[in-house]
This record gives sequence, C-alpha cells and structure tokens, in this order.
Amino acid sequence: MEVLQLLISGTSQGCVYGLIALGFVLIYKATEMVNFAQGDMMMLGAFFAFTYVNILELNFYVAVLATIATMAMLGAVLERVVLRSMIGEPPFSVLMLTIGLGFIIRAVAGAVWGNQPRSLPTPYAGGVFKPGGLIIGYENIVIIIGTALLCLCLYLFFRFSRLGIAMQAASQNQLAAFYVGIPVKRIYGVVWALSATISAVAGILVAPVSLVDPQMGFIGIKAFAAAIVGGFGSLPGAIVGGLLIGIVEQFAGLYLPTGFSDVTAYVILLLMLLLRPEGIFATMQRKKV
Amino acid sequence: MSLLAMDQMSLSFGGVMAVRQVSFEVRAGEVFAIIGPNGAGKTTLFNLVSRLYDADSGSLHFEGEEITRTPAHRIAEIGIARTFQNTELFEHETVLHNLLIGKHVYRRTNLVAEFLFLPSVRRQEIRFRREVEDIIDLLNLQHYRHQVIGNLPYGVRKMVEVARALCIKPKLLLLDEPSSGLNPEETEDLSFWIEDINEALGVTVIMVEHDMNLVQRTAGRVMALADGACLAIGSPGEIQSHPEVLRAYLGD
Amino acid sequence: MRFVRKTSYDHDIRLFRHQGQMFWFGLLLAAVLALPLAIDGFYLGELSLVFIYGIAGIGLMLLVGYTGLVSLGHAAFLAIGAYTHAWLLGQGVPFLPSMLAATVLSALIGGLVGIPALRMTGIYLAVATLAFAIIVEQILVHWVSVTGGFRGMAVELPSIAGYDLVNAVPFYYLCLAILVICLLLALNLLRSPTGRAMRAIRDSEISAESVGIHLAYTKTLAFAISAGFTGLAGSLLAHRIGYLAPDSFTLITSIQLLIMVVVGGLGSLHGVIFGAIFIGFLPQAIALGRDTLPASIAQIPGLEPGIFGLILVLFLIYEPLGIYGRWVKVRSYFEQFPLYRKATHRRQKSYLRTERMR
Repeated sequence: MEVLQLLISGTSQGCVYGLIALGFVLIYKATEMVNFAQGDMMMLGAFFAFTYVNILELNFYVAVLATIATMAMLGAVLERVVLRSMIGEPPFSVLMLTIGLGFIIRAVAGAVWGNQPRSLPTPYAGGVFKPGGLIIGYENIVIIIGTALLCLCLYLFFRFSRLGIAMQAASQNQLAAFYVGIPVKRIYGVVWALSATISAVAGILVAPVSLVDPQMGFIGIKAFAAAIVGGFGSLPGAIVGGLLIGIVEQFAGLYLPTGFSDVTAYVILLLMLLLRPEGIFATMQRKKV
Repeated sequence: MSLLAMDQMSLSFGGVMAVRQVSFEVRAGEVFAIIGPNGAGKTTLFNLVSRLYDADSGSLHFEGEEITRTPAHRIAEIGIARTFQNTELFEHETVLHNLLIGKHVYRRTNLVAEFLFLPSVRRQEIRFRREVEDIIDLLNLQHYRHQVIGNLPYGVRKMVEVARALCIKPKLLLLDEPSSGLNPEETEDLSFWIEDINEALGVTVIMVEHDMNLVQRTAGRVMALADGACLAIGSPGEIQSHPEVLRAYLGD
Repeated sequence: MRFVRKTSYDHDIRLFRHQGQMFWFGLLLAAVLALPLAIDGFYLGELSLVFIYGIAGIGLMLLVGYTGLVSLGHAAFLAIGAYTHAWLLGQGVPFLPSMLAATVLSALIGGLVGIPALRMTGIYLAVATLAFAIIVEQILVHWVSVTGGFRGMAVELPSIAGYDLVNAVPFYYLCLAILVICLLLALNLLRSPTGRAMRAIRDSEISAESVGIHLAYTKTLAFAISAGFTGLAGSLLAHRIGYLAPDSFTLITSIQLLIMVVVGGLGSLHGVIFGAIFIGFLPQAIALGRDTLPASIAQIPGLEPGIFGLILVLFLIYEPLGIYGRWVKVRSYFEQFPLYRKATHRRQKSYLRTERMR
C-alpha cells in the first residue's frame, strides 16, 4: 500500500519534471539550442497564473488560458529578440546565454512579485481522493491527467498538423527543410512559443503543490537530468526520464538516509551516462567525416 | 611484401552494407587510387583503415602486423596519416600550429618538464619547428605560416592538411578526395606534389579521387568500388575500359 | 604598428614577443607589487580575491577555453581544495604541504570525473559535471564529522614557517605570487605539445585522433590540471573567507566562474585576468550603486545575479570574444590609426557544425 502511495506521488512529481524536460527537448530537437532557463520559464508561468487569479481575479480556467497565451507570446518574443542572433553560434555560447537569461528572469520576477512564496488558489485545492486506503490529493491527480492530456495533444499535433510535420522536418535537417519551403526561422519562433506554453502548463500544475517563488525554477535542473536520462532529443524519453527520476526520488526519500533523495536525480543521471550514454531512447550518433 | 593489406572486410550501418568483403593490397612505394560513384563506400574504407570505424568482419595488416583492432590514436604512430574530404583542420590555430600538432607523436617530454618548460622542451620545440619548416618549403606554404586557418582559402587549407599529414612522417598517406574544391591550376600543382611526396619522400599514397585525369597522371594502380564492393583492381587504363566499372558509372 | 624581426625559431617560442611587451608587463608587475603602499586593507583584500578568482579561472580556462570541454561544476573543485586544506591545517599539517595536498587531491578527483566524461561531449559533459558538483555539495552538508555540515568549519590562520600571513598585505603578496606562478605554468603548458594537443581536441576531435593524440588521456589530463588549479585557488579562498560552509560552493559559484572566463574572453589567459577583475569588483560596484539608487530598485533581492546575467547576455550577443576581444580591437585601432579598417575584426559567420546526425 505504501509502495502504491509512493508510486502515485512519484508519478505526479515525475510528470512535472517530464513536462519541463519536454520543453528542453523540444527546443533542442528543433534548434540545437539548450535552454537552461526552462525552469525559470515555468516559474514565470506560475507567477502569471498567480497574477491573473489573485490580482486580476479572473476565473481560474480563463486565467489558465491567459497564462498560456502570455507565455507563448513571451517565448516567441524571447526567441526573436535574444536567441535569433545566436543561430550558428557554438552551443556553449547559447548555453551560457540561457543561463544568463535565467538569472535575469529570476531577478525580474523577484522585482515584480517579491521573494516571499505565494500560493495559487485552484478550484480543486484541498480535495482528497481515497480509493481503498490510499490518500491522493486532487492536485496530484490533476498533474497526472494534465500531463497525459498535454502529451496526447502534442502527439496529435506532431503527427497530423501541417505545422507539426514542418517542425519535425526542420528539426531533422534545417537546410533541406529550408529548401522545400519551410520557413525555418519562423518555425523556431513557434518552437519557443510551444516550449514556453508547456512550461506554463507545468508551472500551473505544480503551483498548488509547491508554492510559487522566484527560486522554484531550480527544479529545472532536475528536469534537465530527466531529459538526458530519457535520451536528449526524444520527446517520449523526456516524460519517461521525468517519471523515472520522480518515482525513484520518492522511494529514496523514504528508504535511504536524509540527503540522498536530493541527489538521486543526479546519481541516476551519472549512472545513465556511464552505462548507456545515449539515454533510454537513443537518437545520437557520432559525427561523420 | 605489401605495406597495407585489407582482407575480406565488411561493415554495415544499421541494415546498409557500406563495405562488402573488400580485399586489396597496397605495395610499398606505389600510388594507389580508389574510385567509384558517390556512396560507393570509399570514405568508409578510409575510415576503416584509419580505424575511426570498427569493421564487422575481416582483417587489416600494416607492414605485416595486424591492426584490425588498434586504437585510432595509435595509427599515426605506426606510420599512417590521412586527410579528410572536407578538411578537418584546427580552425582557430595558425598554419604553423596545425603543422606542429602533426609532430605530436614524436614528443618525448613529460608533463612536468612541459609545465616548467625545461631546456629539453625548448630543444624539442626547435627541432619540431625545423622539421615543420622543411614541409612548409616542400609545399610552398611559407606565405601562410602565421595565418589562422579560418581566414585561408579552401585550396590552401587542403594543402595545409596534406602538410600536417606529412609532418607525421608517414609511411602511408591516405588522401580523401584531395582535388575536390580545387581549381584546375591547383589540381595540376597537386599532381606534381603527389609525385614529389611519393618519389622524393618515399611515401606510399592511397587516394580517393573523382578526377580521372589526376588518377591517370599519378596512380599506378586503381581499385573501383561500387555499392561497397570491389569491382576491379588494375592499371588506370584497364579500369577505365573495364565493363563492370562502366556499368557502375553509367548504369545499365 | 610594430614589426618584429625574427632571427631564430626561438623567437616564436619566447613568452614575450618583443622588448616592448616585456617592458609593459614588467611595469604592470611593479605597479601591482607597489600597490599595498597606496591602498588600504579592504581593497587589498578585494584584490586578493581577484587573484584567487584568477587562479581558479586559469584552471577553468584551460578546460573550457583551450580544450573545449564545458564544466558546470567547478565550484566542487574549489570546495574540495578549500575543505581539504582547512582540514589538513586542522590536523597540524604545515601550510605549504597542506596546500600542495589540496591541489593534488583536487587534481586526482578531477581526473576521476574526467574519465566518465571522455565519452561525452558538449551538453552531456556539462550536465555530468553539474551532477557531480551537486553531489559534492550534498556530501559537504552531510559529512558532518569532517566538514561540520551546515554549521561549517573554521579555517586556521595562514602562516608559513612561523611567519604570519593573517594581515591583508602579506596575504595579498601570497596570492599574487601564486597567481604569477600559475600564469607561468599555464603559459608553459600552452606552448608545449600537451597544450597544443588540448587545443587540437577543442577544434576537431577526429582530426586530433588521426594525428595521434590520445583523446581519453588528454581529456582526463585536462580535467585533472584544471581541477588542480581550481583546488589550489580553493585552498587560498578558504583563508580569504575564513569560515567554510557549503553555501559558498553552489551551482551559482560554478556559473560565476564560467561567467568569468566567458566575459573575460574565451581562449586567452588575458581573458582570465580581465574576467577575474570583472567578477571580483562587480559586486563592489553594485554595492556602491545601491547607495545612490532609490530604495525600491536597490532592494531587489536577485539584483546582483540579475546584473551578472544581463552583462553576460550582452557580451555573448555583442562581443563573444569578451573583454579581451574588445581590448584587442581597441589596441589595433590605436596602432593602425588612422588607417584602421573596421572589417579587420569582422566576425566570421560560423556555421553550425552539428554533432548530431538526425
């Protein structure tokens, strides 16, 4: 019973990691950039939701849509203003750039919303579901269902929509995609918007469980580990990696001495890099000469 | 005795057979050319010889020693140097530095001596430099000595890459499409240099080449590849009139 | 503009290209040596910190700028150096042997971290080092018997052979001396075969391998050397902060070290010094700025990292070669005045050379 309980809480935590990891992977796949500020984008999403619900006093579901729209716009603007000039620069420069962006976003969030943790009121807050001795908060159920729905939408989008297929093409071969008439640069904007949207959803889902403050983006680092464990460059891998880390973390927290649960994500990561460096879902190959 | 012998080597990527049971021997002192349509597996063959790829089966011998499983970084030491199809130079360094890196296998100093830059290190540096200058003179690169690779025209880069390979003082030199991207004058110069390298320095050369004129002028023997398999080996004239080779190039 | 007439190959090997260069560096050294006469203890302390950052920066620059391997976890080596040195001093080991031991231990651990890193490139390596640093941070927190956990540990006062180095002035000279030694060691390394091999790996691994460079060995070595320098800096840092706690060695510290080498200018030792001055004095400048700004802005909690981030972003977009790159441009402007052509330093459009095949 305890095992099942841990499994469920681990799954819900893992879903959050997975969603942020999805944002990482999406951007990496399409643009070969690593966005280290992904966790901070999630934080921004949570803060926008907080603003719309608490300060503008919008209906929760309207606020969710508004947050998604705001973040999508922000993602596209960020790409246009900052990242566009970095196309073709070495990956390390882009990594450092997004680290710098993360610092800036955190400082701005601290300036606008202050550093004290806020809570995001939701219509489903506090509810508890008790099937046969288990205790599951509604928040956790919403996280799991929300993630599943989002994944389904993404799957349908990439599988069937014109834009999704164009994005896949651009991610596989930028030059060829350009030649067949896909506007690669505009696709990049869309990718950043989409990735920001996903992190906004992650922010809204996680906000009721953990409070909202400028430092919450640091779980992005664990999500990053998840993305690598899943095999950087694989969308299902990101979710699987997230779930794996989320669940193992819960068990480590209970069965291992204190301190271990904080490092489990990184131990898993190092083990994975040692044993199967290409990740669970391998997509990398060596450079050709 | 042959200098390099490949015996029944095969390599596949996923389901694609890139090299099928290829066998050939290269004699010491000759210029051996490999020709074939695009995708025939020529560069893959080079990558097998320079040990960047592991073969699925077959064996490779150099000077009678088996090198089928020798690690790639030991290949230069035993005397095989190569160039790359699209040049793989050290972009942020000067020509001189690129060539000095070619001397890496001859270094005899240890880390402590290098940290302190002891006289032995200085003497070694000057010796390397003198040997590098000989290669610079041979290939007429004096003018570019202190220029950074990133600023050089493509033709010069190709020559710098040949020069770097020569700094290893190889017994066997692998040239991967040396004339691609060169203009007719440069290609003509190249044919003389290949002759010089082969005759004056006594280096055996294997080259992958598309330009049949260059092959005819420089190569003693030619191997034709198609779809990863060896079609024929013979003199340039024989190969050019070989029915199977013609079919591979022109289609049925 | 100066033309150097070279008469022997040794000319290209010497550290100073001509007399003038030697003169200016000599003048700089004299000025730095005389500085304690002119400024007070507080600023000497700040300068010592700049020197310490410089030493750590040399280590990181050798790795990131010269070998092309990214480490997001160099704070861990700083921590290993600091804690080892402090612990050994506490056990009664004399100052210099303890410092040497801290350096060697950091280098060994650096080499160990390097080994799994061999098969990784780029982002994988960055993340592996990040994971390593976070694990080290947790060890610092939980290995209470050695590190004192969250409470931290006090560092014994520095002294060499009975001579006290507690005051700002002798400590300043100690840091300066070690920095100069480290710079010379790094310069020597870079002009010998190992340094060349490192740079070769940065530019093309496949090509480096085919000219006979053992990738695994050289990368491990680069990691070990880098960690050694950083560990040495850590042992000095232990004295500078006086009291060690895990929160001095976090991810932010690692990133600050990276910002130092990027803003200073990747691929040059000048850049290390510029970068060290930058991250050493920016907090001071921000603190000074706080006094003049209205309270509502000055009290923003994340202001300092935010400004760091902003400057980093601006540099990456407008001057990827860092402060040193800007310095080279300004210098050649004056040297060639009035003939300077803007195009001399125009950025080459570098096309993405992907390591990814699909």
